[in-house]
This record gives sequence, structure tokens and C-alpha cells, in this order.
Amino acid sequence: MAEQGGPAAQSKAVDESKVSAAELKKRAKADKQARRAAQKEQEGGPAEVAPATNGAHQEHLAQAQGVQQDQKGKVAHAKGLQQPKPSKQGGQEAKQDRGGPSQAQNIPLRSRAAPTAPSKELPKKDNTVVELLSHLYPIQRRPNLAGVSKDVHPAVLALGLQISTYEICGSSARCVAMLLAFKEAIQAYTTPRDTSLPRHLVSHHLSPQIDHLRSCRPLAESMGNAIRWLKKLIVELDPDKLEHEAKDFICEEIDRFVHERITVTDQAIAASARNQIRTGSVVLTYAKSAIVEKTVLQAHEQGTRFRVIVVDSRPLFEGKRLATSLMRAGLEVQYVPFSGLAHVVKDATLVLLGAHSMLSNGRLQSRVGTASIALQAHKADVPVIVCCESVKFSGKVALDSIVLNEIAPPEELLLSAVPEKPHTYPVGAATTAAVGKSAATGKDAPEDDEPAKLKTLHDWNSAANLRLLNPMYDITPAEYIRMVICEYGSVPPSSVPVVHRLANEGM
Amino acid sequence: MPHATHPPSPGLQALVLCGPGLSLNTFTSTPSTLPKCLLPIANRPMVWYPLDWCHRMGIYDITLVTPADAAPPLEAVLRSHPVLTSLSGPRPEVLAPKGLEMTSGTAELLRLGEVQRVIKGDFVVLSCDFVSEVDGSRVLQQWMGLNPSLAASSSSRRKGGLAVYYPTYGREGISSKKDETDFVATVPLPKPNVMLPMGIEEVVMVMPTDTLNDTLDENKQALPIRQTLLAKHGNVKIRTKHRDAHVYFLPLWVKEFVARNEKFDSISEDVLGWWAKAGWQAGLAAKLGMDEVLAGKRSTDDEGANAGSVDEEEEVDATALSSTKSAPVAVRQSPQAFATRVRTSTAPPPRPKLAVPPLLAYMQPASPTQPLIRRIDTAPQLASISLHIARLPPSDPSPLAHEHKIHPSASIGQQTRISQEDCLIAENVTIGIRCNIKESVVGPNCEIGSNVRLTKCVLMDGVVVGDGVQMVGCIAGKRARVEGTSTTGAKGSEVEVDGAAVKGKGKGKQKATSQSGGEEDDKTKLTECEIAPFFVVEAGTEAKGETMKAFDPEGEIGGDGEEDVGDEEDAE
Repeated sequence: MAEQGGPAAQSKAVDESKVSAAELKKRAKADKQARRAAQKEQEGGPAEVAPATNGAHQEHLAQAQGVQQDQKGKVAHAKGLQQPKPSKQGGQEAKQDRGGPSQAQNIPLRSRAAPTAPSKELPKKDNTVVELLSHLYPIQRRPNLAGVSKDVHPAVLALGLQISTYEICGSSARCVAMLLAFKEAIQAYTTPRDTSLPRHLVSHHLSPQIDHLRSCRPLAESMGNAIRWLKKLIVELDPDKLEHEAKDFICEEIDRFVHERITVTDQAIAASARNQIRTGSVVLTYAKSAIVEKTVLQAHEQGTRFRVIVVDSRPLFEGKRLATSLMRAGLEVQYVPFSGLAHVVKDATLVLLGAHSMLSNGRLQSRVGTASIALQAHKADVPVIVCCESVKFSGKVALDSIVLNEIAPPEELLLSAVPEKPHTYPVGAATTAAVGKSAATGKDAPEDDEPAKLKTLHDWNSAANLRLLNPMYDITPAEYIRMVICEYGSVPPSSVPVVHRLANEGM
Repeated sequence: MPHATHPPSPGLQALVLCGPGLSLNTFTSTPSTLPKCLLPIANRPMVWYPLDWCHRMGIYDITLVTPADAAPPLEAVLRSHPVLTSLSGPRPEVLAPKGLEMTSGTAELLRLGEVQRVIKGDFVVLSCDFVSEVDGSRVLQQWMGLNPSLAASSSSRRKGGLAVYYPTYGREGISSKKDETDFVATVPLPKPNVMLPMGIEEVVMVMPTDTLNDTLDENKQALPIRQTLLAKHGNVKIRTKHRDAHVYFLPLWVKEFVARNEKFDSISEDVLGWWAKAGWQAGLAAKLGMDEVLAGKRSTDDEGANAGSVDEEEEVDATALSSTKSAPVAVRQSPQAFATRVRTSTAPPPRPKLAVPPLLAYMQPASPTQPLIRRIDTAPQLASISLHIARLPPSDPSPLAHEHKIHPSASIGQQTRISQEDCLIAENVTIGIRCNIKESVVGPNCEIGSNVRLTKCVLMDGVVVGDGVQMVGCIAGKRARVEGTSTTGAKGSEVEVDGAAVKGKGKGKQKATSQSGGEEDDKTKLTECEIAPFFVVEAGTEAKGETMKAFDPEGEIGGDGEEDVGDEEDAE
């Protein structure tokens, strides 16, 4: 990913030229802090000492993590604690870059630029982020079409929109959709003179597409693996190959990749996992995973009689979709909210989970809430089985959900879009006090101006004492996972790094 | 071009239909010189608005479709008009298909061979009279985001369409009860995963109000609605005060769909109407040949040899894998009693072989704060929108705002008062002394005499207004002449002679004749009049609510229309 540095920086600049008012405000705040820090430095203040104030935390992290990982985590973390805005960029990069040389250049630069005043000195924190996870917040979610680089292919553009609205959601779905969109983008590519396709395509044509997708939602692990594979494929092409032949070849290879790594793999995993479901089983699953769905449907088609419990949670309600399709297929389905988990876990005889990614320490990264499911199942001695294609296996290591995660826009947690009349969404006991005066819309009023104004959850942007946190994933410890079923067979979680090496690194 | 904010291409092409403009016939009676699409709205040719809208959306592949006789002037203006030449990007193509008459329907137009050949991918159909402050890319974004996944690929035949409807009420000064409306029945979309910022709904029925009224008359003032609609959609919302903005985002397969159905006449009524119905009415899709169109062979064959397996994959992929989508109905329905019972109650009835892609609509909510969307097809609308744009301050974020309210090249006489905030004065305008101009739009090269009072007037290019004329709420076509009292004796007498010659039968004339020579009372006073291009309004005319145009425009263009004035006015 090192060669992406240039375009990425460019597109960032483009992005920043089109920022919302809120973003501007944030930036102004960051500037102010930078000035402050500069002043301090002039006065001889120990600006470079600052990171040490968080030393304890770093050490904690360093102990917790692998050697390569902890560096990123440290930097992201240390900065995240001090500086909301710049740290976001750092955090994101730390999450997505996989130790390329670009990182080594970027981070020192950034930390020099970033004001290093101790966090206690900050006049006001950013209201919209949760400090501990501030490195995970995307720079700009839901991009408008207007802010996008013009090199982005329409297919990728549409895909980006669909990804950011969760029309396409789920690691493998996003990966497949991305590859198919790339196919279109590659077909639309023409090599300029004086260069050859293997040298030019990736850095100049593919990078903007990837950056766009990343700006819509952080890339999934499977997407990262697929992109790495694709780049390698292109770079290793024979430069003398005719352009259309090369493009056709790439497209065929992409099809093959999708076919082998996802379609057929899903079949194989489902065929293997369905044997775990026996007559009379009660299968508990969480949210929606395409593989789990396929497994259950296949077991049902085989004639096994069993029951499925679908546990679901807000805000995406993916379980509803799973329950619907299982119900349509004629299965016996029980749909339970997450809060009813303890009640149903007793009945279960098997827990089948999908994955966002399998990490190298055997931990499972999956939809937030999965860890609790696994914990409960573990306590109740119900075997937990993860179905995961090898393309989702990752070389990364994480112990908690803090370092590797994705924060979705917090407003998704609100039940409705911005209300017409704020007082229809009362918060707590304050409602009765100020109903009379709350007629005016209090959405973006400054916080201390009118005490009479009634705040609601929709005012999360301005309320000083309210934070919304909407994480996408959590990490399930390996101890709770009995088995991982991938196309290489059923393996224990400890074998994840082996499979990852076999499947993703030798490609 | 140094465009940091250059929008990315959405991969669409635009067709701008430059139609005849029947309701604007005062100004457009001679399409070979001044077609409707070149009428100025706030000093920009009408066609600028859709072009600019497309450009802001990132669409540069634009084709203007126009009847043959309107093509030369359109091309000339595209080459020469400063507003149009300053649009960035390649100049739009002008297509004048042979079979296209002024009276052709819009769907008929799409069926023409030339147009069919031009359409190569998904396309937007706009009308030239479309004026919008709404950012097109936001609408487009919704369309792209809501399309079934993998609609990303241009060969996909599962893409839906999107139309735009705007409310014809709730906006003071612009909304008028006389505006044409459409009948639209919509259902809400399935609850999105995250909230959608805009009011996108799915259309289930649509027809113009005329058709609705006909249906009502046939059925004793009742509107028959099929049971199947209610069986499929429990929550139908019917609107009768919205109007179709004639902006359609259409996928490629619609081209074929229109070509197949010879009886389709207009896009808004027939194509959308039938498409909307085919979504729920059993068997209709097949009758319209929709299933064949949708199942049709893929037009692109860039996949090469292994296209077969690819297709198969394309059908299964992302949608099925996505965690926010339910898989389509399982292929093999197991015959369990439980399942069938459940299905009849909750699940939709087993789908037909091919689901009809949804026809979506952006229903703009009615609120004065909403950005403007309008179609300009009547003179009052033309005036009200021109005046609306004139009211926008240069700093307004609206893309329609003018940079100069009063163009620097305009020369304005002493003691002339122009209300800056609601007037728009174009370049090379000369205005005499002691004029009073309020809420007006004055087109380029107009000459306005002294002591003129203009209120709520729209003057198109090169209008000459004589001294002392009072005009309220008038629209004057290109190069029209409104004569006023002349200060020189010679001219005054000439007017007198003219007035006498016609033997004033009309009210205005009478007054002029009777009081010829008077300083005060023979002023020309026009209220709410429409003055045709090149028409000359005689001095001393007083008129209200009239349309002034020559009977035979061909003969009179540029000539002296004086002789006709009397007759014309009598006839009115």
C-alpha cells in the first residue's frame, strides 16, 4: 500500500476542501490548539514530553499486543487521547495500513504537526467522539458525490454509496461487490502512452477507487486481502501484453478469485458445517451471516429437522433478514432480541457464528455483540462454531475491541431521523420542566445559551455530557470458540495464522 | 480545468428534450427563430438550467433532442451565447431526429432510431424547462444507493428508475393554483438500514390530472383501484398536488422497454404509468413485454469466454451475501404446512419469475424552505421564476443566483431608481432618467426610456420601452417595442396619426386618440400583459391582462405590427 501515499494524500486534500460546517468547526478548534501548542513550545514548555504522560497506557497496550501491532496502537492511542482531529487520520491509517514504509514516514510527521499539549490542557473536547476510541472515527463518512475525486468509476461510486448505506453489508458481500466493480473500472481503463499497464493501473487508476471505498466505510479484512491479491496480480503481469488482453486476463482472474475464494468456498464450508447440525438440534445464531444462512438452509434441505434461534440487535437488524429468509424456506425460527439472549441460550445446542475477520491470535472479529453470545454459550457449555472463509483471515492481532474496530455514525443509533419537533423525543426527567419553552427547534443551538431549551438524544452533537457510541465489531476471545470451519477444514482457533499464511500470503 | 471539486462522472448520459412549449405560445410561435428552450429565464436561455444542473451532477454527456426546425437556432445560441459558452465541459450535442415533430410525444421520441442509437447506458431524461435549486447529485446519489446491489454494473437489468415530483403549493409568489398537477400514488420504501435523508418513495400509480379527471368522469366520480394494489401494499399514499418535474433517471433497459411498446406516447404518463402498475398488477409486466426486456440478453459481452459462469455469479453475489438483505425466496419450497401458512400471511406472494425493478420517486416535501424545483411551461411561471431568481442575492448559495444584479455594462440614467435586491439588469441595457424599476428582470440590450415605471415585469432581449411607459406584471418578448409618449413633437404627431388611422375602436386607442397631445394621460399603461416577440405596442395603449401578438407572425416579424394592433385588440 506504500505506493498509494501520493494519491491518497491528494484525495484527502480534495475531501477536505469540501467539508461540512461541523468539520470546519472542528478544524478551527484543532488550529487553535495547534497555536496554543506552538506558544507553549516557544515558552520553553516541554512539548515532546507529552506522549509520556500516556506512558502507562502505552505500556499496558504494549504488553497486550504483538510487536508490530503495538507500535501502531501506541501511536494511534496516544494521539487519540490527546487530539481528536488529527488522530483520526492516524488512527485510520494505523488500522488499515499493514506496516508499509509509508507508515513509518507518516506518523512521525503527523505527530510533529499535531499539537502535543497534555490532554488536560485542552479547553474543550470534541463532543461527538468517545475519547478512548477516537482513533477509530472515520474522517468523513457518507461522502457526497460532490467531494469525490473525478477518477472514481461510476460503478465504484455507486458501490460506495451502497456500502455506506449498508445496502451491501457484510465482509464477503462487500468484497465480492468490490471486485465486480473493479472489473468494470478496469475495463474502462486505458493505459496512457509512455507507461505500461502493470506499472500504471494500480497506482493511478485503482488507488482512487480504493480510496473512495475506504472513505465510504473502512475496508473489511477480506477486501484488504482481495486488494492485495489483485495488486500483486497486476504488478506481475507481463508489460508486453496487449492492453485488452491484460484487462481480460485480470477480469477473468477476478472472476476466478470470486468463484474459488468465495462462492465455492461457501459451498464447501456449508457442506462441512451442516454436518454439525443434527436432528433435534437447536441452532443459535447472531445477526446475519451468509455462510451461516447457507449452512442452515442446506441442513434443512437435507431433511434434518431442527430449530433455529436468531438473536438480533440494533441498529442494523440483520437478524430480521436472516429470520425472514429461513422462515420462507420453511424452517422453524425463533427471533429474539439481544436482550433476550440469556433466556434462549439455555435451549441452544449449537452456536453458529459468522465472522468479519479471524485474527491471528485466534480471536474472532464479528458484529458487535458476538462476544457476549460466545461468552454466554461458553458458560452454558454450548459449542461455538465459527464459519469463515480463509479470505477473511487476517495477520493482525487484537486483544480488545479498541484497537481494531469501526465506529459507525452515531446518529444511526437514534430511532428516527432528526425530529421535526424536538420535544417529541424527551430525554429523562428534564422533559416536564421546559415543555413550554421548547417550541423553538433546539437542534443546533449552542449549549449554554438557553437553559430552557429541551435537549434530546438528537442533540448528541452539542450536548456536553452525552456521547453516542456505535461500534460495528467486537472481539471474541479464542477460548470461547470451539472450532473454526474454513475451506481448509475444521481447525481450532489457534491454527488461524497457519491458514492465513497458506491462503493469503502465498497468493 | 482546475476543478478540485469536479464531481466524478456518475456514468450517466442526459437527454434534454427541447419541446414546443404550447402554453408559452405567445413567445414561441416561431420555433425556427425562437424555440421554447431559448426563452430567457432571468436572462439565461431556458436550456441553460438543465445543462447546468447536469454539469453540477457530473454529467457531461448531454444530448439536446429537438425538432429539426428548432435545431439551427439552438446550435447557434449554444455556440454564441455567453452564458452557455461559459459552461465548462464539452458542448452538448444537438440531435434533431427526422421523424420528430413538434407534436411528438416523449416516449415516441425515445423510440426514434436516432435517439435509440444515442442512448448507450443509463440515462437521465430532462425537459428543457426544468429549473432546480436542488442539487442533482443528491437525488442521483439516492438513485445509485438504492438500486439493487450490483446494479453497479451497467449491464445489470435490475436497476430501477427515479422520477422527481415537486409540490405545486406552499410557496408564496411561485405556487399558483393554476399549475398543472399529477396524480401520484406512492408507497414507502422498505425501512432502510439507516435513515435516508430524503423523501424517496416507490411509485405505484401515476397519471396526469387530466387523465385522472377523465377516469373520474367515466366512473361516476370514483377512482377505481385494483384489489391487487392494496393486497400488495397496505400503505398507499396518494398525492394530487405534486407535479412531475420531468426528470427521470432511467436504466438502460427502459430504452428497449419503450421501443417494444408502440402505444406508449409520453414518458410521464405511459412509460412511468405502466411501469408503476406492472410492479403490482399480476401479469401486466408480461403483457408489456417487460419480462423479456429484463431477462434479455446482456448487451455487453466484455466477459469473454467464461461469460456463462460469470452471469451466474453475478446473479448470486452481493445481494445474497449481504447481511442486510434477505435471500430471495428459496429455490425449492419444501411442502411443509407450516411454511405455506406462514408465507401467505407475512411473506409477499411468491414472486413472478422476474421481479419488476422499482420505480422510485423523490417527492419533495412542501415547505417554503425547500430548494426550488419547477417546470416553466406557462407564462406566469416564467415570470414568477424569473422574479424569484432575480430576488436571490449574489451571495446566495443557490446555484441559480446571478453574480451581478445589475450588470456593470448597463448604463443607467440619473435619478433612476432600481431596487437592487429584487431586480436583475442584464448587460448593455440603457435606462433613461427618472425611471423606477422594481421587482423586474430586464434582458440584455434593452432600451428603456425616461420616466418609465416597471413593476414585476420581465423583459426579454432587446425590448424597447418608450418614455413614460408604465408596466406592471408584464412579460415582453424578444425585441418587442412598447412605445411611450415621445418628447419630440415629430414623433408625437406620428403617434397621433397612427392612432387616428386605426380609428380607435379599442379602449386604449380611444383614449389615445381622444387625448392626443395631452402630456399626462396618453401614457402607455400595461398591466399583466404578454407581449409577443417583435410586436410593437402603440403609444397610449392601456391594457390589462391581454396577450398582444400578431395574427400571422410569419409576415410581421421585424416589420411594423402597427396595423394589426387595432384588429388584434378588438379581437381580444
